[in-house]
Amino acid sequence: MASVAILLLIVYWITLAELDQQLSESVERETDVLAELYKSRGPESTVRAIQLRIADLRAPRRYYLLQNAAGERLAGNLPPMKPIEGEIVLPVSSLLRDRSLKSGGATADAHPVVAMGRRLENGEFLLVGENRYRAVKAREAILQAFGWGIVITVLLAAGGGAALGVGFLRRIEAINRTTRSIMDGDLSQRVPTRGGEDEMDQLAINLNAMLDRIQGLMDSVKRVSDDIAHDLRTPLSRLRHRLEATRAKLGPGGEREIEQSISELDAILETFSALLRIAQIESGARQAAFSNVSLGRILSAVFEAYAAVAEVQGQKLEIGVERDFPIRGDRELLTQMVANLIENAIRHCPAGARISVSLDQDTGAPTLSVTDTGPGIPAAERDKVFRRFYRLETSRTTPGSGLGLALVKAVADLHGASVELSDSRPGLRVRIRFLADSEIGARKVSTPGEPVTGHAGGEVPDDRAGG
Amino acid sequence: MKILLIEDDSHTAAYVADGLRGQGHEVDHSATGLDGLSLASGGGYHVMVIDRMLPGVDGLTIVKKIRAAGIRAPVLLLTTLGGINDRVEGLEAGADDYLTKPFAFVELLARVNALARRLPLAEEETLLRVGDLELNRLERTVTRAGESIELQPQEFRLLEYLMRNSGQVVTRTMLLQNVWDFHFDPHTTVVETHISRLRAKIDRDFDEELIHTVRGSGYSLGLSR
Repeated sequence: MASVAILLLIVYWITLAELDQQLSESVERETDVLAELYKSRGPESTVRAIQLRIADLRAPRRYYLLQNAAGERLAGNLPPMKPIEGEIVLPVSSLLRDRSLKSGGATADAHPVVAMGRRLENGEFLLVGENRYRAVKAREAILQAFGWGIVITVLLAAGGGAALGVGFLRRIEAINRTTRSIMDGDLSQRVPTRGGEDEMDQLAINLNAMLDRIQGLMDSVKRVSDDIAHDLRTPLSRLRHRLEATRAKLGPGGEREIEQSISELDAILETFSALLRIAQIESGARQAAFSNVSLGRILSAVFEAYAAVAEVQGQKLEIGVERDFPIRGDRELLTQMVANLIENAIRHCPAGARISVSLDQDTGAPTLSVTDTGPGIPAAERDKVFRRFYRLETSRTTPGSGLGLALVKAVADLHGASVELSDSRPGLRVRIRFLADSEIGARKVSTPGEPVTGHAGGEVPDDRAGG
Repeated sequence: MKILLIEDDSHTAAYVADGLRGQGHEVDHSATGLDGLSLASGGGYHVMVIDRMLPGVDGLTIVKKIRAAGIRAPVLLLTTLGGINDRVEGLEAGADDYLTKPFAFVELLARVNALARRLPLAEEETLLRVGDLELNRLERTVTRAGESIELQPQEFRLLEYLMRNSGQVVTRTMLLQNVWDFHFDPHTTVVETHISRLRAKIDRDFDEELIHTVRGSGYSLGLSR
């Protein structure tokens, strides 16, 4: 817009300067012609020529003056004046006295006059002028044209901009949809391109190239973790087999030592499996296997399994299911999530503690809570307990892999649920808030496609600290 | 029993094959998917143990192909990964059970035995009986020596599973998977607690103990020999 205005301004200035230049040249030429006539034919001819010219005048008009040495007008349509050699500009006021004489339009007199004065022989003085009517009219015409030009430019720009804007927004939205799918775990999604050369296509192509690169890296990390799964677990398995064989050979004497070695080894293998499992959950590939599950039934089943365990520890496990909530999810993982929460409470609470699991709704969202009357978790530590291997100072001596809550978080994330720890005075309350029906459409953009590679779900852990 | 083992890792293969032979079974071993597939297609095995990750034709494909060929012998699938999708995929392909590597030999043996027994077992026997212990699956009642015994639903399922596999060792993992549908290892004593409660109801007031602990393996229900 500004560039168009600057361009028009330059054109305007050049045109006006050119018109002024033409005006000056025209006046000078006429002066030369009359001065030449005076020189060759004498004053009478000149007077006649001026009179003829005045009689012929139409707007835009010319102005003539021939006066003698005494300052009396011999011919012309201007009042006598003080002789001035060269180019001068006569203001409008100097013409007014001679109004009665004129034959042009009143409007023509309302413009300044560019004139050329010339001293002749015998002290006579010739002046030829022309008003700037033409230049002024030209300026008006140019300004008018420019006005229309700007209006049309603005309209075109606004219309084109709006059309471009709608297309632009649509394409931005396509990119947003793709990125949301990817965040939901489907890394095979790509931003659509039009095959054009514009900046949006360039952006889409670059984003896709970036995604290809990330996917390549993920694949190689996945390969590494598969290799670890295979290459590290195989020797560990062999070690276990060898220990078993040795136990059989040793007989009762060494059996105890070997037994302990085997259970240590099993703990290592268990931690390893848990890490791989969390990594697989986080990859999101599991969403493809979602089905309709009943949160209430899962809760009751896990409750039944653990009620007796809690009782043996001198604790009381209670259940409160307001009503059932069917959701889309993975029953196996949700079962493990609830089991981990209950086990966590059982392990960290002393005898006499009460642990209650419940299912109710929070503003339409199914919400699962596990509340205990145990030692709780200090507010400053609450975010950290979801990290892999993070353990509170106070529970260093309690058995456990330090991966239980990391898995809870991974399963909750997979289901779009939020996990909140709070103080239940005394004790800990863990709340898992699932998506309300109204929130589901907003999050789920597309169903993730096939897993990227051959091994189902064998994705990689990312390095999210919260795990 | 005639058992087919398809496993590419020679160490694991030797470990499993030696163990099974030590139990008096006949074992054919194949180290590649292609060989394994042709052996399996020949039929004549009571149980097949197939590794999921194999060079050439992978374990899932073998299971699908032999099932498509009408071979019904039970299949135990060995999985290497954390195994999160493997179980569902394996079962969908037609496998009967799965075992995540690494495993203890007793675990594999217990599962092979359970799979082998599944064949002759009449599909849905209503009345299960071991000694003087009776379990009625339809009426959901349990009696021992004619005395009625009240069981919680989970205790009932636990006893039912033990009775269906009576005389065999069932491992803790098998119980977790089949009774509680837990496909992970709890860090608390879920199985032990329920077994001890069940014992209190089934065995405490009777002379002969039916539920036995098999050290390092699991449990077994039956008359002691």
